[in-house]
Amino acid sequence: MRKLAVLVLAGLVLVTAGVTFAAAPDLNDQTDCNTNHQKCREYTLNLDSPWYKVAVLLTACDIAFGKCMLGI
Amino acid sequence: MHARHLTTGAERGPRRRGPFPSGAAGTDGRPGSGRAVGRAATLAVAAALLASLFGPVRTLGQGNPPRPALGPSRRAVEIAVPANEEDEALLGRPVALAFDGGRLYVADALDCAVKVFSKDGRFLKSFGRKGSAPGELSFPSGVCVAGEAVAVADKFNLRIQLFDKEGRASGGFRVPFAPDRVLAPAAGRLLVTGNPTGRLAGERLLHVYDLSGRLEWEGLEARSSSDPVLDAFRNMILVCPGEEGDFYVVFRSGERVIRRFAGSGRFLGEIAVDERHAVPSVDMPLGRRTLRLSGFCWAASRDQGVFFLSAPEAVAGKDLGPGRAVSVIGSNGRLQDVIELPCAVHRFVVAGGRMFAIDDEGALRIFEVRS
Repeated sequence: MRKLAVLVLAGLVLVTAGVTFAAAPDLNDQTDCNTNHQKCREYTLNLDSPWYKVAVLLTACDIAFGKCMLGI
Repeated sequence: MHARHLTTGAERGPRRRGPFPSGAAGTDGRPGSGRAVGRAATLAVAAALLASLFGPVRTLGQGNPPRPALGPSRRAVEIAVPANEEDEALLGRPVALAFDGGRLYVADALDCAVKVFSKDGRFLKSFGRKGSAPGELSFPSGVCVAGEAVAVADKFNLRIQLFDKEGRASGGFRVPFAPDRVLAPAAGRLLVTGNPTGRLAGERLLHVYDLSGRLEWEGLEARSSSDPVLDAFRNMILVCPGEEGDFYVVFRSGERVIRRFAGSGRFLGEIAVDERHAVPSVDMPLGRRTLRLSGFCWAASRDQGVFFLSAPEAVAGKDLGPGRAVSVIGSNGRLQDVIELPCAVHRFVVAGGRMFAIDDEGALRIFEVRS
């Protein structure tokens, strides 16, 4: 049962990520990417949240930055 | 009717408005600038879900470290903050505090304003609003009192803005990075910190300007590796004013030392902090490996020659967050006292024996520190 729940949730995560990726074909300007990445990091660091949450959010910022640079 | 008001700690409801508030998106007014942040938040939720499923994080040891046995200690007596009824008194995302002996200045990043309170917590006024014109702010992340001026780190406008104490814009200067904290270690001099972007080599954490914006010195090179997330933690710093223009730098994670610099930027030495100051660790999956991160300090202040360092505490056995205990550290690094607060505090400033703090709900709490 637990495995099934994990699989369902993992599937949901993948679908969410897929939808998110598919919605960003227009942002490939490098300056915009840099600006957005910096803002994402600064917001995250100023959240003053517990560190694991911060690490997750910073990772998300980096993923978004890479995706932006690749224009996908 | 005032829907928003500032009340005493016990009465307050949730005041934080989420990790990516509405003001976060598109702050520069350009189309698309907020979407990347929004997508980042979506990805973060997905990643957090995965992480909670597989549970790779754990704090070391059983809960928080025991408090050291010390002699008669200082204690914090809470002063009730009046119920300020003005809408402007509500703190949206308070991120920095400064006290000039009579007034407390709180930088509110969400409302893009500096909110001014009396030393007893009565709301006096607010200045600044969202924008990029003189007197307007975009994510103010630092505030300090510099003589008769109030200096504000205007993060996303990439500038330091100066106001008089009545809240009128009185100048400022641009900086080539997003300023984070600002401190006035000496008359006519501002220390500005910046978070490294992680994309450029040789970035500096400390920058000293005069009030006209002339760069006098910059230093303390950012630590860099192949892992930008790890670097972000290794480069988190706090700054405290010293005497005669000196200032102190505290890294929030890593070694248990406090670094002292002259106003000119010359490194003056390190203070090794007493082993009894609790430093919990957390194992974090950064990159392809697990990293043990030591939480040395969550927030710091300095008053009357002693440091007040709050150690992070275990959060739900899985993470490190702000703590309730504040270590009082002498100038020789020796632990003098541990002050137990009734709530975890995110940011605080201690001045004249009074501690002004921001609690978990983003509300102002005031404590009298008594021996």
